[in-house]
Amino acid sequence: MSRAEKAGAVDTDAYSDVWVFVEVHDGDVMTVSWELLGEARGLAEDLGEDLVALVIGEDVDDVGREAVERGADRALVADDPVFEPYRADPYGEQFRALVEDRHPAIVLIGGTHTGRDFAGRVAVPAHAGLTADCTELGVDDDGLLEARRPAFGGNVLATIVCEDHRPQMATIRPGVFSAADPDPDRDGQIERVDPVVDERDTVSEVRERVVGDTADITEADRIVAVGAGCDGDLGPARELADALDAELAASRKAVDEGWVDGSRQVGQTGKTVRPELYVAVGISGAVQHVEGMNDSDAVVAVNDDPNAPIFEHADYGVVGDLFEVCPALVERLREDGLVDAADAEPEVKP
Amino acid sequence: MTADATDRISLADRDTATPDYDDAFDAVVVGAGLAGSTAALTMAKNGLDVLIVERGRFPGAKNVFGGVLYTPTLRELVDVESAPLERYIAERRFGMLTDDDETAVSLSPGEWHEPPHNDSYTVRRGAFDEWLADRAVDAGATLVCRTTVTDLLREGDRIVGVETDRPDGTVRAPYVVLAEGGNSLVSEGADLKDRERRENVAVGVKEVLEFPERDHAIEDRFRVSGDAGASYHYFGEGAVGDAFGGGFVYTNEDTVSVGLAYRLSDAATSQPDPEGTLDAFKSHPAVAPLLRGARTVEYTAKTIPEGGAEAIPQLVHDGAVLVGDTAGLVLNNGLHLEGTNMAVESGFHAGKAVADAADRGRTDADALAGYREALESSFVVRNLDRYEWLIERVQEDRQLLFEELPRAVADAGSEYFRMDRAPKDDHAETAKRELLQAVGGYTGAAKLAVRYRNLL
Amino acid sequence: MTDDPTIVVGVKQVPDDDEVRIDPDTGHLDRASAPAVLNPPDRDALEAALGLRDAAGGTVVAVTMGPPTATDVLEEAVAMGCDDAALITDRAFAGSDTWPTSLTLAAAAESLGADVFVCGEETTDSSTGQVPPGIAAHLGWAQLTYVEGLEPEFDDDRLVARRDVEGGYEIVAADLPVVVAVAYGEFEPRPAGLHRKLYAETEFEPLELSADEIGLDDEEVGIDASPTEVGGMETVEPVERERETVDTAEELADALADAGVVG
Repeated sequence: MSRAEKAGAVDTDAYSDVWVFVEVHDGDVMTVSWELLGEARGLAEDLGEDLVALVIGEDVDDVGREAVERGADRALVADDPVFEPYRADPYGEQFRALVEDRHPAIVLIGGTHTGRDFAGRVAVPAHAGLTADCTELGVDDDGLLEARRPAFGGNVLATIVCEDHRPQMATIRPGVFSAADPDPDRDGQIERVDPVVDERDTVSEVRERVVGDTADITEADRIVAVGAGCDGDLGPARELADALDAELAASRKAVDEGWVDGSRQVGQTGKTVRPELYVAVGISGAVQHVEGMNDSDAVVAVNDDPNAPIFEHADYGVVGDLFEVCPALVERLREDGLVDAADAEPEVKP
Repeated sequence: MTADATDRISLADRDTATPDYDDAFDAVVVGAGLAGSTAALTMAKNGLDVLIVERGRFPGAKNVFGGVLYTPTLRELVDVESAPLERYIAERRFGMLTDDDETAVSLSPGEWHEPPHNDSYTVRRGAFDEWLADRAVDAGATLVCRTTVTDLLREGDRIVGVETDRPDGTVRAPYVVLAEGGNSLVSEGADLKDRERRENVAVGVKEVLEFPERDHAIEDRFRVSGDAGASYHYFGEGAVGDAFGGGFVYTNEDTVSVGLAYRLSDAATSQPDPEGTLDAFKSHPAVAPLLRGARTVEYTAKTIPEGGAEAIPQLVHDGAVLVGDTAGLVLNNGLHLEGTNMAVESGFHAGKAVADAADRGRTDADALAGYREALESSFVVRNLDRYEWLIERVQEDRQLLFEELPRAVADAGSEYFRMDRAPKDDHAETAKRELLQAVGGYTGAAKLAVRYRNLL
Repeated sequence: MTDDPTIVVGVKQVPDDDEVRIDPDTGHLDRASAPAVLNPPDRDALEAALGLRDAAGGTVVAVTMGPPTATDVLEEAVAMGCDDAALITDRAFAGSDTWPTSLTLAAAAESLGADVFVCGEETTDSSTGQVPPGIAAHLGWAQLTYVEGLEPEFDDDRLVARRDVEGGYEIVAADLPVVVAVAYGEFEPRPAGLHRKLYAETEFEPLELSADEIGLDDEEVGIDASPTEVGGMETVEPVERERETVDTAEELADALADAGVVG
């Protein structure tokens, strides 16, 4: 029985290897790239194929080396001033050209503002399937990539496959996988590729780039997250975070209100975290938020609304005024010696 | 892609400029509640172009009432059977409560089980109001939602349109029907009526509860089947303390509405915490078993105009009329709790009067006076007149009526039916004595009877 | 030099997340019960487009690829201030994933002579955010995503944007024509004027365009052109939580100590 061939279908046998995009800005590699490399190592082994790291930037030879140390069999490095700072059109065009030339079976890109920006510029010309925001990856018995992502509010996990189109592309949510540790004894080929993009061909220009230290809440063992219930006053939550030696995080509402930087947002459109302890302060518990923290070992909720959904997703809950509960909790934890005594100055930054 | 082959699509020939809707409509109705939609429907059926302006996301979104809709007038205007109804009222029960006693009377006439079911149904306002507004739209009215009327437009004393909270938000029309509900900020702001005096306003709180763990909870608890439902009214100390008002429990299809309504002036003094009073009512030994295992899914509160006939404002102005709760048309005397049927009746008469005036090309108050006259000879004002005196009288006798009498009746009943070894003569004698003592002897009883002869 | 620009805004009808009940038993959204509304991030897109028109003149046209019921969102767009709107509707579009969806919108943008195509950052129902880059790729246009602010430089055929990036922002200038994806919550959507809203809801009729009318063959769209397929859906087991409620902070501290979470 044959299926009517879809537009853009290709001979899938001509495609092989797993590619991971390594995202670099001004010499700094985004952690999600190492997370992807870690996960993709397993996929490459299941398929019996190579794991290839794609590095695009300027002065990025050492990144290629680090990618090999962290699990890549090979690294392709496109090194040119046209690639720094990042722009969608040169990255998209370079990557697309490499894909067309080398025929990877699978391409994985971190779901950052960069990855989600240019992935489509690769997928469209290749008529490739692109699944966005995945939280799980696997290969089936036929060697097909199974890209899994939450659907319908998070209580369903949809598996997306591309039977006849290549490459099979996916963007992956930061913080879901664990970063691969570098092994300095690992060896692999690092190949410099020619840039196919010229500055004259570009259609955009970065006039200014202002980036500070970004918080990485995905690595934290303990998190105190603030929500709408804090009503702009983060004092109690910060103190609690300080006492618990926890990282501060936030719901979408708190970020939209401007109380906390977006890098600390937990949830469907933010980060996925899996700390040992997650304390939700003044957070209602909308599914889009819960999706980002449901893998926490222990969840504590403080909210004055007994019907708030967060209590369904918490191990311990207090129905009460966070402005009373948080300080009281800090006091009790310190009294009982369950946490360290107060520092002279709290360290938690906005 | 085949970019070169694509023909350009030109939008130049399309006219999408914004028309001017000033005086495009004959009438603007402020509020798509029961009074507003009924007025709109009536006017539309009489060939008028009507604009209904509703502040909620959809009609009924912001509307609250006790729970039972009486439909005789609606039945003349729409097909009530195809409306979203919950249950028809097959039983009316009246309970007198002390803190731990209940004495009740229940009525379940067989004829209520047959259509038209005494024109008494429980409804959910979100569903019902939306349906009724749709009927007005079907008849030709225009409905715009999420738009709040903030003021009236005037030329001299004549009302010539409305102002809303939207940009470019004024629209002129010869007639304005004010159906804003109890919180009638526009009518008050435009000096068409005074702010309600505290003693003329009641506070109503209501919860809707569901029974998550049980199928057929309503049928079992209230002993009904099919579409039949029940209306339970309570008054006395165990319901709202010594406040003037009472409690209610109504059955919807698979939820129960439980609530209280009592005078705002009492709220300030004896029952300052409506939510707490409602919780206490729900825990009363007579009420709690009905609600066991139920979970609250909705909580609402509203103010209810209860000034009676005396507090009805001037209903007719040059270019405008007042209907429904805005016109103070609510009856609450403990036995009867009615507002929605009066809202519909007033909307109907107002709609007719506006259509008549439009026919004659006149917008002055005299031309619209037919509305007031029709309302005065209808059950609306006649019922309010009938119970006018009740409120004052009850104020004077509140302690007797809400505390002492329910206690005396309960004690008398308990005494009368005491099962010990004394003869029934003794029980009857004690019961009678207790009851008479509460009301002040035979003379007192007679006086009470005379004072309240008009109650029923 | 771009005089009188044509600004096209892509909008979508989605289930209403706000009105969706959270099923108290499972704690999950009950999407089936939700009415259909304009994708909330699209309001930001509409405001951004109308803001461009305020600054640089031109025409704003809203488009949506959807069934006939999607005209509701076009009415909302016109009520807000769009000059016109088009419904791109065709049986052939059924089953489209982001590849043919972005192709369809790209074809519409071309047909309408767009200089700028504005979208919301993502939809609340599929939240892939991949359609705007896909449109730019199909057309070979520049793109600006996660846009928090726009400044037209149409005399130089450019559009400048403030772009949200991890840890900060960028100021990026793109050549026209350009696809813009607007960050959710960064623009203050303007309220619809009363008379405009009345017009949009009672008299306005969107232009209806089929696949053919925007230059597409049936094989290029719909399920036949969708590389991705849903291989399976599995219900996720809700994470088992203790759901222990305590009354005071003190009790909470004790509970946490007992569980070994602290101390």
